Parts: sequence; C-alpha cells; structure tokens
Amino acid sequence: MAFKKKDAAKNDLNTVPWLTKARPYLIMAPSLLITIGILIPFAMAIYYSFTSYTFRLPTYKFIGLKNWINMFKDQAFWHAVWVTIRYAFFATVVEMGLGLGIALLLGNTENKFTKFLRVVLTFPLMVAPAIATIIWQLMTNNAVGILEKFLNLFGIYNFPWAASHKTAMFTAVLIDTWVYCPFVIILILAGIQSLPKSPFESAKIDGGSAWFNFRNLTLPMIKPCIYIALLFRLMASLQEFSIIFALTKGGPGDTLMNLSVTAYNTGFAFQKFSASLPYILVLWVIVNIAAKQIVKKWQYSQKVASGRNVAEGGKS
Amino acid sequence: MAKIELVNITKRFGKFTALDNVNLEIKDNEFFVLFGPAGAGKTTLLNTVAGLVMPEEGVVKFNDEIMNKVDPSHRNVAMVFENYALYPNLTVYENIASPLRSPLYKKDDATIDKEVHRVAQILRIDHLLERLPSQLSNGQKQRVAIGRALVRNPNVFLMDEPIAHLDAKLRHHMRSELKEMQSSFNSTVIYVTHDFLEAVSLGDRIAIINEGKIIQVGTREEVYYTPCNEFVASLVGEPEINLVDGRLIADNGKYYVEVLQKGYMLPLPENSGIIKKLIDSGTTEYHIGFRPNNVKYTFEKKEGLLRGTVYSFESIGNKAVLIAKIGDQFLRMIAPNDLKVKLDQDVYVELPINRATFFNAQTTQFIGTSDEAAIYRLVQEQLSKGVQ
Amino acid sequence: MRRKRMINNAVKNGLLALYAIFALFPLFWMVLISFKSDAQMFNTTFFFDPTLENYEAVLLRTDYFKYFFDSVIVSVIAVLISVLAGVPAAYALARYDFKKKEDLAFTILSFRFAPEILVVLPLFMIYQKIGLYDTYFGLIWVYQLITMPLLIWVIRGYFEDISVEIEHAAMVDGYTWWQVFLKRLLPLIKPGLVSASLLAFIFAWNNFTFPLMLSGTKVETITVASLKYIASDTVHYGQMAVAATVSALPAVIFALLIQKHLVRGLSFGAVKG
Repeated sequence: MAFKKKDAAKNDLNTVPWLTKARPYLIMAPSLLITIGILIPFAMAIYYSFTSYTFRLPTYKFIGLKNWINMFKDQAFWHAVWVTIRYAFFATVVEMGLGLGIALLLGNTENKFTKFLRVVLTFPLMVAPAIATIIWQLMTNNAVGILEKFLNLFGIYNFPWAASHKTAMFTAVLIDTWVYCPFVIILILAGIQSLPKSPFESAKIDGGSAWFNFRNLTLPMIKPCIYIALLFRLMASLQEFSIIFALTKGGPGDTLMNLSVTAYNTGFAFQKFSASLPYILVLWVIVNIAAKQIVKKWQYSQKVASGRNVAEGGKS
Repeated sequence: MAKIELVNITKRFGKFTALDNVNLEIKDNEFFVLFGPAGAGKTTLLNTVAGLVMPEEGVVKFNDEIMNKVDPSHRNVAMVFENYALYPNLTVYENIASPLRSPLYKKDDATIDKEVHRVAQILRIDHLLERLPSQLSNGQKQRVAIGRALVRNPNVFLMDEPIAHLDAKLRHHMRSELKEMQSSFNSTVIYVTHDFLEAVSLGDRIAIINEGKIIQVGTREEVYYTPCNEFVASLVGEPEINLVDGRLIADNGKYYVEVLQKGYMLPLPENSGIIKKLIDSGTTEYHIGFRPNNVKYTFEKKEGLLRGTVYSFESIGNKAVLIAKIGDQFLRMIAPNDLKVKLDQDVYVELPINRATFFNAQTTQFIGTSDEAAIYRLVQEQLSKGVQ
Repeated sequence: MRRKRMINNAVKNGLLALYAIFALFPLFWMVLISFKSDAQMFNTTFFFDPTLENYEAVLLRTDYFKYFFDSVIVSVIAVLISVLAGVPAAYALARYDFKKKEDLAFTILSFRFAPEILVVLPLFMIYQKIGLYDTYFGLIWVYQLITMPLLIWVIRGYFEDISVEIEHAAMVDGYTWWQVFLKRLLPLIKPGLVSASLLAFIFAWNNFTFPLMLSGTKVETITVASLKYIASDTVHYGQMAVAATVSALPAVIFALLIQKHLVRGLSFGAVKG
C-alpha cells in the first residue's frame, strides 16, 4: 500500500497543473503589456538626452553628455530647480496645514453643517486644475472679477495677481491650494473617523488636556494618513504643470518656470527636444528620492499606529 | 459515499511542515473525527482532501482512485468552513442552493426548491430563507453553512470545527443535533474539532493529530482506555488524567508499584496481564495514569490511603473538581457540587490501581492498562467488527 | 463652562464657514456669471437679468460639443480598458504570491507619480513617427498611465477584503476558477469597482498635459479647448464661464455618486475610508 516517493516523482502527481501555476502571470499580462508599452518612451528619453535631436532636423548625432553639461551650466536650470522647490514647499505646507486644521475641526463636531460640508468641499478637487485656473483668472480679472470688486472695498485697486513677479507665486499657490486642499482634508478626516474610541475614553477618565490628547493619542494614530497625503501632494506639486501653464505659461518672465514648464518650453517652444530631456530626468530623480523618504516614514508610522513596534520584532 | 485514503501526505508551507507523512484510511460511510490542538494541521488536512491545496508528497484517493490532479470542483466534496464562508450578497436560500446551480452539479429549479426547503426544515432555518448572511446570528449562519453542504450528495462531507464559534448552550444543542443527523447522514464524514466532548460523542473513529503528525487512530474506547502515549491520554478526558511517578517493586513473587511517597506501595492484581507487560517493557520507571472519576477520597483517616491536603475545589457545572496536594504532586478528583470542604483540610486518597494506565516514564509510550474489563470490551468490539 | 463651550463652538463653526466660502464661492460665482450678459458684465455684481445668450453662443455656435464628445470618448474608453485589464491584475496581486510581486505592484504605482512631462516629450516624438499623434487611440493608450494604477491598487484592496474561504466554498460547490471570479467575486467588488472607475474617469476627464501635447485639432478635449476661450476672446467673460461650468459639471456630479468610496480611491487604497 505504501506509495514510494520515487514513484510520485516519476508520475508527476504532486506538481500543480501548469495552468494553475501560470495563472497569476497570465491574468496580469494584459495590464503589463499596456503599461510597459508606455515605458518605452521613458527609455527613449534617456537615450535622446544624449543626442542632439530636434524636431526640425531629421538627423541627429550622439553628443554624449553635452546636453547635460549645458543644462548644469545654464542659469535657467538652477532657477527652475529653485522655483520647483519653492512652489512645492509653499503649496505642500499650506495645504497640509490648512487641511489638517479643517479636518480636525470637521472630525470633532457632528452636525448637519459638518455633514453637508464634508460632501461639498470635495467639489474643488473634482474640477480640472486648468479649469480652476480659468475660474480664478475670471475672479481676479481687473475689469469684471468679483475679487477685484471685493478688494476695491478696502481701497485696493488693480491687484496684479498673476501679472507681477511679486505676486505670481502667491496666486499659483492659492489656486493649487483651492483645488487640492480638499484632498488632504478627506484623507486626514478618514483617519480621524476611524480612530478607536476606547483610548480617548480612558484618557477622559484620566483627565488629559485637549493638547495632550492630540499630541499623544490622535497624532500618532493619524500619522499614516498624514504621510499619504504628504506623499501625494509633494509628488504632484513638484511636477505641477497645468496650473502654471494655464495661468501664465511660466511668466511673468521666468517667475514660475519650474522644471516641468521649462522642459516644455525648451522642447516645444524652442524646439530643442533633446536639450529639454535632462530637465525632466532631474525632476524625476528629485521626485523619486523624496517619495522614497516619505514612504519609509509612512511604513514606520503604520507600525507605530497599530501598536506593532519595529523594536519588538514586528509580530502583533 | 466513498472510502477516503491519505497516503504518505506531506504538505509544507515554505519552511513550515503542516502535515508530516500522514497516512489515514477512512471507511465508506464512516463518521471520522480528526481531533487535536490548534495549529495541529487539521484544516490543512481537510483542504488536502478537498483539493484546495496540493501536497508536496503523497496521494489522496477516493475509492482507490488517485485524486491529486483533480480540482476541487470535480471532486464532489461538500465542505462546512470554520468561519461559514457564506456568500454575503446572496440570500440564505441562494446560499444553500448555490451548489445546485453550479454547472457541475446542476439541478432544475423544482428540485432545487424541494431540496432547499427539505434541508432548511431539518436545520430549522426555513423561516430565514429570504435573509442575507449579515442579518443572521452565528448559530443561524452555521446552520446555513451546514445546509449548503447537506443539499449535496457528495463523496465525503468535510466539516471544519463547525460549532466552535457558538456559545456553550448552542454548542451543546448542536452537538446532539449533529449526533442525530449522523445516523441519517448515510455518507462519509470527516469532522474536525479541538473539543474532546465533540470528538468522543460524534466519532465512529477518532484520529489524534498534533504538529502535523497522526499520533493515534481508534474508537473512543481505544483512545480513552489504551492511549498510545501520555499526550493522547492527557488530551482525551475531562478533567485531565492524573499522571504520577511510579516504580515497579518485586517482592517475593508479588509485584507492587511505589507511588507518590517513599514506601507507599500499591499491589498489582495477581496473575494479571499488566504485570507481564511491565516486566517486558524493559524499565521500572513509569508514569501511571489515574482518571479523576476513578480516584476515591475520604476525610476520615483510613489505613492504607495516601494523606494529602485540599488544594482547590472548583465547580464545573453539575459536578466539581477537587484537587489534592500530596507532597509536590497534585491529584484531580471528581466530587459533588455541594461538598463542604475547607482549603488545606486533610484528605485521604485511594488510587484505583486496578484501573490504571501505565506509561514508560522516559519515552511516554503506552505500556498497558490494568483495567481488565475495558480490555475485554475492546477485544469484543474488535472481534465483532471482524478485525483480527 | 457652558458659555465657554458655546463660544468654542461658535468659533469652530465660524472657521469652517470661512473655509466653506473659500471652497464654494468660486464655483457659485462662475455659474452665476455664466448667465450674465456681456452688457451687464462690468457694471453689476450679484443682481442682474439672467440670460442664456452665453450658453447659446458657446454650445450652439462653437465646436464645444465636439470637444465635450472627444473628452467623453477618450475618458470612457480609457477607463473601460483599465477595468478590463486591471481587475484581473488586481486579483493576481491580492491573492497570489509570486516572485517580485511587491516590486511589480510598486512599479505600477510609480507610473502614477511619474512626471507627465517626462512621458509626454518622448511620446510626442514617437507618436508622430508611428502615426498615433492626434488620434483617439494614442490618447486612450497614454491615459492608461493615469487610470490603470488607480484601478489596480484600489481594486486590489477590495479583493483583499474578501475572505479567501468564499472562493474555496465556491470551488467546492462546483464552480471552476473563472466562474468563481465572475459569479462570486465580481458582484462583491462591484460597488468599489464602480467608484474607482468613476474616480479614474474624473482624473482622465480633468487631464490637461496629455491632450495638450499629444493631440491637436482632430482630437481635442474639453480641458484644452477651454483655454481657447481665454486666449481668443477676452471680452466674452460670460462665455468663458460657460466653458468652465460645463466642463466641470460631469466631474462634480460623479463626485456626489462616489462619496462613500472616495477616500479609498484618492489614496489608492492606502487609506480605507
């Protein structure tokens, strides 16, 4: 009756059927094909950044690192990096701060107003950033804009908004905040609403102050949400194109020329295609480094929030 | 209805061996219980029979036919899952009808309706047929899960701790319901549990499994009176069996065992088979098992009894467990609920040496039992079943 | 003590109201002036005689419907393809354990974070060469970068929420793997799938960079076309407002439908709403 192990191997009775083993790869195949197809341009970008390709001339030659060296020597590049970082910094800080504040206000009160608010404040997020820019341009228009009329009441006339290099950044960040702040609010609000009640109830019995509760109970447990919001907003604002392009195409002058818009101009407006690629590749590297840092912090905060401490070995 | 065989089954998950060279033969129409502690491999074994996992070594046979390459839908098994696994978006009616709507086991609507109602009536859930699983209590969900299995006419019913998540009263009720159904099942059943009472009350035969290995297979009497080692003896029996150190002493052709206190000797029944077994065992150091319900006690000093003190007294329902401390060992005994007893009170204990189980102290393996009546019953049982 | 709480509440509600105004007033005002005639544009603010002449001008006398239609085609088909290819992939990531699984999953996710410019500039060149420039197919394919990662990651979360025993039960009942997937699993993720699809649709609908650079005149989406209304006729503010209102409308309506699953979708499944 004993079935010899040797026989089993010969008869192949303990191997999973090929179809079952291959199934995960088979069903992932279509999605991979579709998305890999788009990876090709990326590979090409790296290649072409080493050539002198422009749209006008059909021929090009391999010029090695010349594009890259020229870029690093160009004042416009460093200016673009500076603008990129400034824009991302302001937009992210304002959105995170305002978003956190509003989310906390909404999370702690429960009435018809807050319920209504939670639904309608998603609307700005649903509007295309380019369209949002149009709306704000209309509102701030010196001739017919409602904001202009509002400022007139305080004796301010012809506020330049996007027309002056002093206020253009402010205007762009304002529009960015209007569109994306709800994103932060929704995420953090979800974190607040999923907080377990019991720690807060026992804290109430122990008699902690509101600040104490916030710092030691709320904050650690919603940190994962905060990091996710931070991750998405930082990534996006580093690469922001639509809002700036729709607003001033990078102007006035080069006030709002971040890496994305500069690359676009170099590539399309100036037709120096290959010269524009290093700009975007640098941007991509910046985005990736920042993303990795935040993802690490996010993963750690998840462990802390659920009580599984890394130091204890990870098992819950 | 089928005979199920597992031959040399080994199943590994990465470095962890869940089933280690398991060999089982389950007879046609047998109610077979798989009993063991949590993590022993019981669910993995069921999944192997069902075809939900592929063993690294060994084969599964239904009626002598190798089923390794057959996928679960074609094996014609019915399974009741520990967590019910009801389809959340279907009504109770549709959940139970589900197998009868599958392409493989399809029946026409009239038959489906008849079967679902028949099963629902047996399980007393016919008033719940239009509800969704989220609207049911645990006990009701469990009965729906059983119902989904009962509408089938499978090779084997696989039941994975189906009543583990019910409260004690409901579990007791379902145990007797299952016992009633068992006789009318007319099918092979493999029933998994970690509850000893369930195991002995339902099973024709019980397989004890621990850490992926089958320790012993036998009827409830066999595992109770002749457990193959101390692990099985401790597992089977409520309250747990008492295991005390003992030594064989020979004196003028008479044999005694010295237990618990130096010089306290219990005489082994003369000319009994156990003496020969003990001599043949090659050792004189034993762990001797006394079932709590056989241990006698009294509060009056009596000659020849062991003296100890009352350590604890705890009610377990309609009776109580009295624990006596003798030296540094403890003895569990059954006592009536209304017994007036004080802690640290003196108590005198009589160990029933003629109903004891003997284990090799070093290897923990079973040597023999002095319970001649039980041995006689077991032999009769085996003879009547035609086993040599 | 009660007075303190009342003041507290008043301040809270006041701050919330301020933000509400900030968030909603622009939309409200935009709709408002879309009904304002050019004549009354400069000298009135909130009170005027409403008129439909702007709507007439934009919708009937320009190609606005074509742009709207182009947006619909591209967005709907892009989401459809992402669903058909993405749902099985999401299942594979949720259930199976294969080599490099997490690496693959994060690669898919990183497509979402790639700078659009990074993809567009080289794509522009290639699309010209292989004739995909200014075509529906070309745009639909590149939109996969936006819609596919979202769908895969969010649906993966929904699959992970379903206990694997349900699949086992269905298999034992007599359903083969495909039947289990279609008949038992898909109905369970349907609400999540619908929400994720609508959110992906909104992102596709709102996209600006891709249609700007990868299509020209034959295919023109509404976001790009709306910019025309600013550049060309700076005097017809009412018409600009109409363009903005109509293009924002579908997204806002869909947003109302997916409130329940919005958090999951926006965070790609990282946060369970």
